[in-house]
Amino acid sequence: MNRGELVPRRRWPAWFDVRGRHVSGWAFILNRLTGLGLVLYLIIHLWVLRLLTQGEARWNAFIALAKTPPFLVLDTILFFGIIYHALNGIRLTLVGLGIGVSAHKRMFWVLMGIGLVLFVLSTWGLWTMTK
Amino acid sequence: MSRQPWLEDAPPAYRGGDRWWLVQAITGILLLVLLAVHLIANHFIVEGGLRTYQDVVAYLSHPFVFVWEIVFLIVVTVHAALGVRSILLDLGPSPRVERIINGVLTLLAAAAISYGIWLSWVIRSQG
Amino acid sequence: MTEQRTVQFRVFRYKQGRERPWYDTFDVTVTPRTTVLEALQFIRRVHDPSLMLRHSCHHASCGTCGMRINGQERLACITRVHDIAGERVTVEPLANLPIIGDLVVDMKAFYAKFTPMAMPLIRHSEFLPEAEPPEGVDTYTRLENCIECGLCVSVCPVAASDPLYLGPAALAAAWRVVQEPRGQNVPEILAQVDTAHGCWRCHIAMECSAVCPSHVDPGAAIMALRGTLIRQHLPWRRKQQGGDAHEPR
Ligand code: HEM
Ligand code: SF4
Ligand code: SF4
Ligand code: FES
Repeated sequence: MNRGELVPRRRWPAWFDVRGRHVSGWAFILNRLTGLGLVLYLIIHLWVLRLLTQGEARWNAFIALAKTPPFLVLDTILFFGIIYHALNGIRLTLVGLGIGVSAHKRMFWVLMGIGLVLFVLSTWGLWTMTK
Repeated sequence: MSRQPWLEDAPPAYRGGDRWWLVQAITGILLLVLLAVHLIANHFIVEGGLRTYQDVVAYLSHPFVFVWEIVFLIVVTVHAALGVRSILLDLGPSPRVERIINGVLTLLAAAAISYGIWLSWVIRSQG
Repeated sequence: MTEQRTVQFRVFRYKQGRERPWYDTFDVTVTPRTTVLEALQFIRRVHDPSLMLRHSCHHASCGTCGMRINGQERLACITRVHDIAGERVTVEPLANLPIIGDLVVDMKAFYAKFTPMAMPLIRHSEFLPEAEPPEGVDTYTRLENCIECGLCVSVCPVAASDPLYLGPAALAAAWRVVQEPRGQNVPEILAQVDTAHGCWRCHIAMECSAVCPSHVDPGAAIMALRGTLIRQHLPWRRKQQGGDAHEPR
């Protein structure tokens, strides 16, 4: 018998509580995390593009840097985020309009299958084409 | 009796319809095409991957590409702003804070779009 | 049937006036048939009479024993301890509703949202002759299925952060009225759910449908409401109906 063990304070936002979650609950959390990641990327991306106004040398130096492996790893993560969020977004749009609601789990796995193929292809393309 | 007792204490701002989710979904579907083309065009077309300075200028000076990228910019910004709004609204802000959120996000989105158009224009005219 | 074992029950405790909630752990000997509810009643009887919990029917119809068992929303009366993995069972009250004490939450907000949508339907269902579902229409059994247990509200990530969110149970009830109005004002019900904190707030996590012990499928109901609202607002539909399907409030 153990009395009085304090309930720990929650350290994460309520929507991020993953205990006892099912596929679609995880899908929602991942959709939100990738969405936020993509917004962050969009902001950084727009900011970096300003180098294009600072002449050829600045931009080409950046592109040389962007082709190094650490940046390619970041690009790979970006591809994952985009592909997941986009394909899950197709499902959310359909289901959210009342289409295919009862098939939403099957739809999720089919889309994720397609996503895996796209992810492998694009990652392979990224690492082999970049020179 | 009011049919919305759970809103009785809430200010009127909560009672309006809100179909921004639909805009989020529509812009999302548009992004499927816009983003796919953007990614392929910028990562996989030019020999060696990402575009160098000359490649970018050549790319953007094509009128169709220019318009396409601007449309992409607008759609992605609207989608992103609505997405952030949706996450913030989930935190149950007061109507005042909600108005502030709407205002700030509108401003940020407008700034991002204007900046993007300006940037594309400058790059394009360097061709 | 004699196969007994001892399981540790880690029970969420809170008393009004206390600053923070805590866990008490009790050893309970269980048989393969012991339910979590029975184990909790045993704890109350033998170890700590001050343990607060709600229950009534013991057979999944009153909806009062909803709680989180190892983080998962369940009805304690039909959850066998043996079906839960591990030697330790953590029992917590439903989330997203105010705690009154220990495992008891305040259902007032739940009913404030649910009742205006659904109660008329439930009350009259047994008495109205036209309430008989026609042959082959199984969807008519839906709302009557809802036992108002609140599991769906507890699991919903949106209810977790937006206190004004109408929530899965109330939205499912609203959809039930739209499906079978029985004299209710459908446009008005639709107007009530067509809000930023109504059916458009849902993020389609579908957790509600996964935990509902009564197959109400609130997630599908919410999607059906959205579909209905969107179809109503299609421009060519609007003309047909001679104006907006339901006037904005
Ligand atoms: C490529 C195609 C895309 C599709 C089909 C898509 C689709 C969607 C859909 C349907 C939602 C609503 C989800 C919900 O109601 O919970 C959503 C949310 C969101 N999207 Fe996208 N999206 C796409 C791309 C993007 C991009 C490029 C960004 C970032 C710039 C982005 C950022 C977000 C954010 C931040 C949210 C809010 C997430 C949340 O509420 O949890 N999306 N997306
Ligand atoms: S489908 Fe909607 S109502 Fe149901 S748990 Fe998910 S967010 Fe909540
Ligand atoms: S919809 Fe299901 S989970 Fe929600 S209150 Fe009704 S019976 Fe319980
Ligand atoms: S005691 Fe009635 S549902 Fe569990």
